[in-house]
Amino acid sequence: MSDSTNPANTRVSRRAIIVSGAVSSALIPIAAIQAAPQTAASKTPATVFSPEQRRILEAFLDRLVPNDENGPGAVECGAANYIDLSLADYLAAEKTTFLDGLAAVDAFARSSQGAPFADLSPEKRDAVLTAIDNNQAPNLRGFFNRVRRLTLEGMFGDPSYGGNKNFAGWDLIRYPGARMAVGPEDQRMKTPPTLYRKPLYGDGHGH
Amino acid sequence: MAINLKPVDVAVVGLGAAGGVAVLPLARAGLKIVALEAGSWIPPHDFRADEIHNNIRRRVTTGTKVWDEIPTFRTGPNQPTRRSAVPPMMNAVGGTSIHYDGNSWRFNPWDFKVRSETIKRYGAGAIPKGATIEDWPVSYDELEPYFDTIEYEIGVAGKAGNIHGKIDPRGNMFEGPRQREYPMPPLRDTDFTDLMQAAAKKLDWNPHRSPAAINTEPRGGRAACVYHGFCDTGGCHISAKNSTSVTTIPAALKTENLTLLERAHVTRILTDNNGKVTGVQYLREGQEYFQPAKVVFLASQTYENVRLLLLSKSKAYPNGLSNNRGQVGKHFISHWAGREVTALFPFDLNIWQGAFAQGVVVNNWADDNFDHSGLGFIGGASLTVNHEVHPIAGAAMPTFGRAPAWGAKWKAFVRENAGRWMGAYAQCNTFPYENTYLDLDPEVKDRVGNPVLRITSGPKENEPRASAYAAAKAVEWFRSAGAIEVATTPNTEGPVLSTHAVGGTRMGDNLETNVADKWGFSHEAPNLGILGGSIMGTHGSRNPTETMQALAWRTAEHLVKNWKSIAG
Repeated sequence: MSDSTNPANTRVSRRAIIVSGAVSSALIPIAAIQAAPQTAASKTPATVFSPEQRRILEAFLDRLVPNDENGPGAVECGAANYIDLSLADYLAAEKTTFLDGLAAVDAFARSSQGAPFADLSPEKRDAVLTAIDNNQAPNLRGFFNRVRRLTLEGMFGDPSYGGNKNFAGWDLIRYPGARMAVGPEDQRMKTPPTLYRKPLYGDGHGH
Repeated sequence: MAINLKPVDVAVVGLGAAGGVAVLPLARAGLKIVALEAGSWIPPHDFRADEIHNNIRRRVTTGTKVWDEIPTFRTGPNQPTRRSAVPPMMNAVGGTSIHYDGNSWRFNPWDFKVRSETIKRYGAGAIPKGATIEDWPVSYDELEPYFDTIEYEIGVAGKAGNIHGKIDPRGNMFEGPRQREYPMPPLRDTDFTDLMQAAAKKLDWNPHRSPAAINTEPRGGRAACVYHGFCDTGGCHISAKNSTSVTTIPAALKTENLTLLERAHVTRILTDNNGKVTGVQYLREGQEYFQPAKVVFLASQTYENVRLLLLSKSKAYPNGLSNNRGQVGKHFISHWAGREVTALFPFDLNIWQGAFAQGVVVNNWADDNFDHSGLGFIGGASLTVNHEVHPIAGAAMPTFGRAPAWGAKWKAFVRENAGRWMGAYAQCNTFPYENTYLDLDPEVKDRVGNPVLRITSGPKENEPRASAYAAAKAVEWFRSAGAIEVATTPNTEGPVLSTHAVGGTRMGDNLETNVADKWGFSHEAPNLGILGGSIMGTHGSRNPTETMQALAWRTAEHLVKNWKSIAG
């Protein structure tokens, strides 16, 4: 079920399908596994993005999950921050590929829409991303899926990793919140569980 | 140079789900045991309520050495070799029993004699093409006392469906007869489990609650489950999950007959010229040691059991230990299981929290519990729905054709529905085939230079058919429960790399086709006991752990009773 490598199957994301017995149906080339990340969590918040790269990423995330009447979007939830911290640390092996991907999105925007990606209107950015999602851009679909996957992690993961700011991701989907014990009254269907919004492991900012 | 250590009675390689239970009867009998575990103790406070930590980065399950021991995989001898990014094994005291969901099942009587029962009921032609199925050399009835022992020693919560032949529809009425009730009642009912039980009953099926190796009341000096919902791929923060690390291993340590060595990486099992095992060689903190032992128990999970045997070449065993008939690695089975059917409901299910094993199971379409005449397959699948959906997994939901995969419409869709969907986990009966086996990879090596294992798994016909049949039943079940959308993604390939991996050192009376005898001891090296799923010849349509634990206990007890003839 390891679809951290292949996150967005649009019909049924198999990563979402919690498979307890089967570990992995997604296979990757042997060479890729040699770079498997194993570093311990770093204490120092680091940044891997230049201001320009950060701008491209946020322009991307803003269209994946926009800020609208349903609440904060991916940017406001801190998904870019999560991705930044991850690439600086746990996903360091993926950093170069990721930065190359951002550059390729920008280059594709310039060639297809005539301007840098981050300068485009929301509609034009949607057009760029739709083309990528529909595999109409050279070799960008895998990167698109990876960004989408990391965005989900940054929006809905534990806030200690730098995303899910103010629990906005959990509020969006009405996730009750991680806690140490859950009583029977919180496992009812007709009455909603109480929401718990305290960080168990810090908020990912400055620890 | 290896440092030679003082001889012991038994050296146990791997202290996980199987080795972790086997040490207890040995220790109680007064045997001096050294257990060599590649991982370490993990203190309960290190187990987090954190999806990224547990399920995404797999911080609990992957430990130190498993990353570069992930087996490679190919679909046939001339096919490209690939490799998963996720290890199927775990190194820790307690092994995979730390992070499993605690689903604790007895295999059904049919699992032990699939071949003869199939031929009897449907004729020899019903055995799947290319299958190498044999009846197990042990029956359910012979194993029953050991199931009972495991359930009471580690603590299993559930409702019996068959006590001495008396059927109770509140339990699994398809199970084999048991001698008594479970030691604890099932994990608590919820509105969701009530809904799914009622929906199955409406179809005239026989749903029941999942049996789980989890305390549902205080037991063994440990607390009852608090249902916080980070059981799967994590460890229990209050030690309510009955992993061997909190049950049988501490009990064995208390006897002072067990010496436990953490971070001991066993690299070879050594033998003398007569083919008897003499002990194990291991690396610890850069130093090589030789631990002589009268008996060796190999309990390092299916993949590592097979790999260690193949790596342990000697004069007596030029093709690997206990492999003079070429059977090590054969009859390997990766459990055919997955969540191919998902459903969307028009109301909040509230299954975010709770234990993963807090489920409802339907066994009507498993094993030989229904007539297979004309269906073109044998076996089937158990179907389970359960609690514990983590937020990232919940938001990564299928959209059932109702929304795109990103953008404002997607956001509105998950806002409404992330808590309103569920997948049914179908676990199929899975059989051994000629085209599916394990050997050493010719290219990829681990960090100490030993080849990793290679899985060759060819196409199958029986399992995809059984899986598709069960999937159609899952659709009916969800519809009966009020689902407004049901989606099926056919499982045609099965898992290539599963934590439910069995076979590879199969037990059986026939020396030509089996590595282990009916007690779990090597046919060729009589003082080598093989523990865990690798001795199993078929995979049931349910989680394998309790069955391998019952077998492990039985192997250990057999050693105690026959110490002189085996160790002598």
